[in-house]
Amino acid sequence: MDNRRIPKHGISMIQVNQAREAFAQTARARDPRIASNPRHQATAAPISNDIIPRVPPSPPRHKCNNPKNPSCPHCSAVIIPAPKATLPAEDTPSISIADWKVSTRKKPILNSKELEDWEVILGGLTLPEMIFGNSFVRIENEKTGWSLDFNALDALKAVKMEDSGIRVSYANKWINSKREQQRTSELDENSLQIGQHYDWTYTTNYKGTVRNGNCDKHFIQDDSLELPIDKLTRPDPILFYDDMILFEDELADNGISMINVKVRVMNERALVLSRFFLRVDGVLFRVYDTRVYVEFNESKVLREYKEHETDYKTVLGRQNSGPSKDPKAILRDSNWVVQQLPLLRRECETIQL
Amino acid sequence: MEIDNDVAMQDAAEEPLDPTLDEDAGTEHQDGVQTREGPGSSGIADHKASKPLQLDDGNIGQLDRWIEHLGSCQVLSEEDVGRLCKMAVDVLQFESNVQPVNVPVTICGDVHGQFHDLMELFKIGGPCPDTNYLFMGDYVDRGYYSVETVSYLVAMKVRYPKRITILRGNHESRQITQVYGFYDECLRKYGSANVWKMFTDLFDYFPITALVDNKVFCLHGGLSPMIETVDQVRELNRIQEVPHEGPMCDLLWSDPDDRGGWGISPRGAGFTFGQDISEQFNHTNDLSLIARAHQLVMEGYAWSHQQSVVTIFSAPNYCYRCGNQAAIMEFDENHNRQFLQYDPSMRPGEPTVSRKTPDYFL
Repeated sequence: MDNRRIPKHGISMIQVNQAREAFAQTARARDPRIASNPRHQATAAPISNDIIPRVPPSPPRHKCNNPKNPSCPHCSAVIIPAPKATLPAEDTPSISIADWKVSTRKKPILNSKELEDWEVILGGLTLPEMIFGNSFVRIENEKTGWSLDFNALDALKAVKMEDSGIRVSYANKWINSKREQQRTSELDENSLQIGQHYDWTYTTNYKGTVRNGNCDKHFIQDDSLELPIDKLTRPDPILFYDDMILFEDELADNGISMINVKVRVMNERALVLSRFFLRVDGVLFRVYDTRVYVEFNESKVLREYKEHETDYKTVLGRQNSGPSKDPKAILRDSNWVVQQLPLLRRECETIQL
Repeated sequence: MEIDNDVAMQDAAEEPLDPTLDEDAGTEHQDGVQTREGPGSSGIADHKASKPLQLDDGNIGQLDRWIEHLGSCQVLSEEDVGRLCKMAVDVLQFESNVQPVNVPVTICGDVHGQFHDLMELFKIGGPCPDTNYLFMGDYVDRGYYSVETVSYLVAMKVRYPKRITILRGNHESRQITQVYGFYDECLRKYGSANVWKMFTDLFDYFPITALVDNKVFCLHGGLSPMIETVDQVRELNRIQEVPHEGPMCDLLWSDPDDRGGWGISPRGAGFTFGQDISEQFNHTNDLSLIARAHQLVMEGYAWSHQQSVVTIFSAPNYCYRCGNQAAIMEFDENHNRQFLQYDPSMRPGEPTVSRKTPDYFL
């Protein structure tokens, strides 16, 4: 059995080739021409001049900041980052349009050393199982240096170091049986203490991290503002798109808590959706959404924050999949779930740079 | 060092075919799934043998064909899964709650339906049965190939019962698999829940811990305040769904923690155990190490409690997005430990990047 493995000395050729192949796949995965979805190959509907008086400049005004991207047939540079490389190469794709730059970075979960550091920074919070702590989505105004990013560290800083009051569905049964054992002195008293109080659901009202740069302006709250759905539903070609998780925890198999951030950039605007999604099986659902909308020509940013929540049973009762389907599959779809949840709170604010 | 005296020969031994085996598998399974619900409803355990399954030319040939088929990541037919599970019951029911395992052995953690990475594991660690393997649970859920993964491991277990040990993880349970993907996958691949019922009925027979050369205690989760000695584990009735509380639940669910003593999770259920607890347990039972799985670690393995406990995680790039390495631990005749780390398997023509199509999200 001694020679059952190739000895691992020196640089492994296989590893190098795997890294190359992984990188090539990442680059290929970005090419919209390979994608089967015809949607973003379709020519955009004519842009209505009633809404924006300025006609988009032609040829395209955006600049691709990553030379590894394939060129696109109609505007010569479409950036569609692949979600991840298996053996990740440093890769921070970005796009510049007018004064704005949108960039993303995706890296693996934190390693043990980084986790130790984060535990200190976060005051001893028991960290979620998967933290994509070196990943981010960033929107910046290059003229003023103002930027808004979404990252896991700042999201976790908003998690409360106190009891959330939420318990898993079988907590009462569990604790009562322990109490029973304690009475019969199989367990000593100390073993029934909760080790550490923190919000184990990792609920966070994180709305992104603002850096002012040289800009002295701030967001001004105005809840009467609305996102311009008409502009956002137009099939303008997507020039840059990404979708990433900042952190995720399966709550010891009692559900899921995660933040997912999506960004899409069109010629005249960008939209970011950062969604905190919580499902505690048998207990409740929570969806906290932050949307950031940027109108490039007006240098205006709108940020909307919404909290949705209801109990588990109500949501489960609304699914009506047939007997041959898994009834719980749909409970993993945050887009479906959020439509079943009442809106508990909404805030909106704007900044004009 | 004990001699591994019951290894290869029994696997290859020629015994007369148990005439009930094949015929029963078919009829049993049909009666079962159509008329009953709940644990045991698959019928795979309705006619358990009174002695361990004996391998002969007939069933060895069949197992080898199944293993070859599964090895190319193709599922068995529902009827064959029924036959396989029935054979597996007659292997696993005779294993102990604390299954003894001889050295050398390679100890592995969570696999979670990442079939191609399991094949990579066997490349890295050496093919089974040339290398002995001990898996510490969580074969199903989350990955895309839970059915293929668990079918393959169970087929290997039946074919080489002394060469591979498969423990139960907290995901080898009816309740958890309904939430995290295995149930869904069975419905998609077979069009009904029958295969899911057979496997979850089989999971009840998996041993819950193993003891390697009387020195390394292996289990999926961790210790329980109700369990002070390994003998107490032997007394448990394990043939049941994983309960929500009690020692069997703790063994499959608990986690080591930096804080000393026993702690309760703020979730309201589940224990954590400190270094003092691990050291006491190892001392009481004359152990050198507790090996467990259950938690994702970026490097594939992680020591805790000053090397009284090791966590091993064998699903690289977990959920196809974490970018973590996986690891397995080789434990040799002289009780040397060596960790082998590995990356996800690369398959020509199959993208490892799960590209998301841009969508007009709002």
